Amino acid sequence: MTGSGGLRRVVVTGLGAVTPIGNTVPEFWAALRRAQVGVGPLSIPLEDLKIQIAAEVKDFDARGRLKDFKRDKVVPFADRYALFAAAAAGEAVTMSGLQTPFQDPYRAACIIGSGGAGLVAVEDAYRDLFIKKRKATNPLTLIRIIGSSAAAHVGIEFGVKGPVFATCSACSTAAHAIGIGRDFIRHGLVDVAITGAAEAVITYGTMRAWQAMHVLSPQGIFPFAKKRNGTVLGEGAGILVLESLAHAKARGATILAELVGFGMTADSKDMVNPDTEGPTEAMRIALDDAELAPSDIDYLNAHGTATAINDINETEAIKKVFGAHANKLAISSTKSMHGHPLGAGGGIEAVACIKAMRENWVPPTAGLDEPGEGCDLDYVPNVGREQRVTYTMSNSFAFGGLNAVLIFGPPPV
Amino acid sequence: MDEVASKIIEILKKHMKEPRDDIGPSTALTDLKIESLDLAMIVFDIEDSFGIEIPYNANEEAADFKTVGSVVDRVRSLIAQTAGAPAKA
Repeated sequence: MTGSGGLRRVVVTGLGAVTPIGNTVPEFWAALRRAQVGVGPLSIPLEDLKIQIAAEVKDFDARGRLKDFKRDKVVPFADRYALFAAAAAGEAVTMSGLQTPFQDPYRAACIIGSGGAGLVAVEDAYRDLFIKKRKATNPLTLIRIIGSSAAAHVGIEFGVKGPVFATCSACSTAAHAIGIGRDFIRHGLVDVAITGAAEAVITYGTMRAWQAMHVLSPQGIFPFAKKRNGTVLGEGAGILVLESLAHAKARGATILAELVGFGMTADSKDMVNPDTEGPTEAMRIALDDAELAPSDIDYLNAHGTATAINDINETEAIKKVFGAHANKLAISSTKSMHGHPLGAGGGIEAVACIKAMRENWVPPTAGLDEPGEGCDLDYVPNVGREQRVTYTMSNSFAFGGLNAVLIFGPPPV
Repeated sequence: MDEVASKIIEILKKHMKEPRDDIGPSTALTDLKIESLDLAMIVFDIEDSFGIEIPYNANEEAADFKTVGSVVDRVRSLIAQTAGAPAKA
């Protein structure tokens, strides 16, 4: 059950998601099947916001969703982002069929990151202090804010006593967490890892910060389209349960996919403007790691943020890596439906990739009526596609030029 | 029991996992199974309800917080101090 170099093979046995188009994996997948778009008017007080749309998670009932959690304190102790993480992790662990608390707790890891962490708690606290002039912040404020709180909550709930920490790399946060979790298993540090990321950034203050960057669209998120004029903030969580192949087989688990490749690079150039070299090399490294040829990839879930520069830059990078196969490759940006959930994106999109393989169906890029200049690949416009999907690639390219690419393959036979 | 005491008991009960109806001035806080963060929440709620500030450090044994009655006494004296203090501009 080891690959080349005696490294252990790593498989996915559980998926969990909270997204603006579905609060569980089945709901999320059904929404992708319908090409449902989760962007709508903001539910937060609009005040003087210029951008009045976002892809918000709707009707999220934390107490109901976490009712089986052993600790009743998760809800008051957690920021919205950590509640998303807990809900998605609960779904993923249940799907995996793993017994918790883990029998061998030091052989389990929990790596759940966030780009912004407890921003809802920050805003609540600052409103209390600066606007309501209250004498103190809620004493749980700090516990809610800290960026490792989602990992800690989930780790405590499931009895993880091995490595528990968060990753933080803006829009590549989830992909880094999943990749690192895989490597911990691959190299024998642990047998099981709960990995991914969560994000809850739709607050007045964060919207103002994004507004000042002038990269949000007032209309919607239209990746690779001529009409694209910026991204739309999303939120949610995407969590995978990873295991060594031997561990999964020994307990007779249903194996959903193998995590075959991971590549990470940094552009080392600019905080906001992406470069083609970093993304290109991240995809190449992931393919090398997976020992696959570019032509083996059937579906690529693009970073596809619908900013003017990302979509053209990513298209260029894909062409460099895939050569002639770039034109045959099914590429889509599911952000066209679930918005841009920043750090959680790679986790939610990994779920989409694995479901695409399981069902041999590629989700579309919604809202793609007319392609933008230089966006001349097959982005599966508007309608999903039945096709054989054996290997999938998921791209995450973050502010700061931080790139992480995951490749999933079929369950080992 | 006066208003201060009953209000404080109400706050204590709100933060207890299994609220009890037999809480009186002599009840020891340790009997209420209050954890350190619960205590911070309780102090926060009391401060908010009575418009006072309770000097307290979670790292130190708080003699004022041994029993429900000692908390009530402390709050009463802080209310008196706050009321007697010159109004801030």
